[in-house]
Amino acid sequence: MLMPRVAFWTYLAKEIKRYLKVMNQTVLTPVVNTSLYLLIFGVSMGENIQLSSGVSYLAFLIPGLVMMACLNNAFQNSSSSLISGKFSGDLEDLKIVPIHSLEILWALCIGGLTRGLMVSSVTFLVGQTFHYLTAGSFIPLHQPLLLIYFLIIGGLSFALLGISVAFWAQNFDQLSAVGAFVLTPLIFLGGVFYSIENLAPFWQKITVINPLLYLINGVRYGIIGVSDVPLSMAFLVSFLGFVFFFSIAYVSLKKSSYKRW
Amino acid sequence: MNQDVSKSVPVQKSADIPLSVQGVSKYYGEFKALDKVEFNLEKGEIFGLLGPNGAGKTTLISAIVDLEKASSGDIFVFGEKVGRGLQTKRDIGFVPQEVINHGYFNVEEILTFHSGFYGIRNNKKRIEELLQRLALWEHKNKKVKQLSGGMKRRLMIAKALVHTPKLFLLDEPTAGVDIELRNSLWEFVVELKNQGTTVLLTTHYLEEAQELCDRVGILRNGVLEKMGHTKDLIDELSNRKLVIDLNGKAPSGFSHPCLEKQEKLEGVDGDRLVFKLPKGTEMGSIINSLGFSLDSIKDIQTEEGTLEEVFLSVLNS
Ligand SMILES: Nc1ncnc2c1ncn2[C@@H]1O[C@H](COP(=O)(O)OP(=O)(O)O)[C@@H](O)[C@H]1O
Ligand SMILES: [Mg+2]
Repeated sequence: MLMPRVAFWTYLAKEIKRYLKVMNQTVLTPVVNTSLYLLIFGVSMGENIQLSSGVSYLAFLIPGLVMMACLNNAFQNSSSSLISGKFSGDLEDLKIVPIHSLEILWALCIGGLTRGLMVSSVTFLVGQTFHYLTAGSFIPLHQPLLLIYFLIIGGLSFALLGISVAFWAQNFDQLSAVGAFVLTPLIFLGGVFYSIENLAPFWQKITVINPLLYLINGVRYGIIGVSDVPLSMAFLVSFLGFVFFFSIAYVSLKKSSYKRW
Repeated sequence: MNQDVSKSVPVQKSADIPLSVQGVSKYYGEFKALDKVEFNLEKGEIFGLLGPNGAGKTTLISAIVDLEKASSGDIFVFGEKVGRGLQTKRDIGFVPQEVINHGYFNVEEILTFHSGFYGIRNNKKRIEELLQRLALWEHKNKKVKQLSGGMKRRLMIAKALVHTPKLFLLDEPTAGVDIELRNSLWEFVVELKNQGTTVLLTTHYLEEAQELCDRVGILRNGVLEKMGHTKDLIDELSNRKLVIDLNGKAPSGFSHPCLEKQEKLEGVDGDRLVFKLPKGTEMGSIINSLGFSLDSIKDIQTEEGTLEEVFLSVLNS
């Protein structure tokens, strides 16, 4: 089980093909959403916002939106794939065919990651375009490898979280409740739109326990070289988060029912 | 001859036995869906698992394909234990009771992916062969929701066969399917049997099961009540019938221990007498015992017992 087998590649290909078949919904819509954020906050309101680091607000915002796109879409992909599989009975097939749990897990989370990376790349390109139009230049990448590391580990973690939530959920409502009441607040309050230095001390304290802060600032450091948190902490939190999400996703995969609703 | 299921199955996990179900019970909470079910399949046979709705047929098949975990007992497929490793899954092809909707994928994609799950990278030939055989070739670019009910069923069957399984399980493959398609599906199942595939199926069509199945097992409330060769069970648990049409009316007050019913023949002034023959009755002796002159008999027919009678007699016992 060290070498990926045909079953793994098949499932990964199926996962990717699945969201590509509905590009409008899975890639285009998220890109339009983040472009609107860029336009409203970055371009029109951003001119009035001053940051102590000296970077423009648009340049500050772009990494946040890039990471938000990656996390959201990775989560969406694995969770909606499983939930619709439960609904249609497709999921039962996974239990019947000769595929290992670890192969299922990796195919699902890498599938989610690819969608996350695709949407975040397009978001980045759109952001760069806005930046060029307003500031006359592109943002040079500060640390491309760090950027890629944080995108990958964040995307994988959120795809894994999507797996756990989808296995746990009893219906579509519970899945969207987790998105609306847990993930979106955590992402929004994790420093996508603002630097924690602008917050009152009380809110700063609250924000530092939000793991999303570390993922988002990791990406921000990779792109513009600015971070609200020490890089070492960002590494540690992202890695521990991945291990944690991997473990619960593996347990849910092993323990949960694959039977259709 | 007929097997008393409670003690017939020796513990076996030989690689020669396609399926060995050993003392399998399944609880859903307090509810017992399967109660120490035990039987073996023989290589190359068609085995019919019969039983009323809710008897536990789907539950049993789910346990064999590892979709449900048995609460106790073991299942072996060609000597390999279900739930341990992937080998049993490679050997099994499974057609679920309910059609699966594969969303955005078309027939050909579905079968190609399914092949990949079995480790088969390029399965074009086998897929075309199955699609041709199941009359789906012209529909290979359609999505499941664009197929008719019968085509969906056939797709489920094609899917279960992409990897040429040695043990083929069908859970009510013909429920709600018109007679023509039903017949062609059964024909196909016989074809698979002739190629050496072992088949286990559940169905509500007892007449077809009688014709098709080498052996049947009857499940009731999770208990395998009866199992044996179809012919033996019919011999044992059903009666032959003797139908005599008379030229005129039967003598008034006619009675006979074997007489089941007496009715008027349509359109003529005659009576029809239906006798249920006890096992081992000689036809001659019973006709003699009636005391009719040969002249008074218009027609004599016999009817063999049916699996349906067996089924009802087991369920009513
Ligand atoms: N997931 C479940 N939870 C509780 N009871 C179940 C579940 N699945 C099946 N049952 C019950 O188990 C019994 C057997 O069901 P099933 O195997 O589907 O019967 P059959 O296929 O013979 O019609 C039924 O009484 C059914 O209600
Ligand atoms: Mg059933």
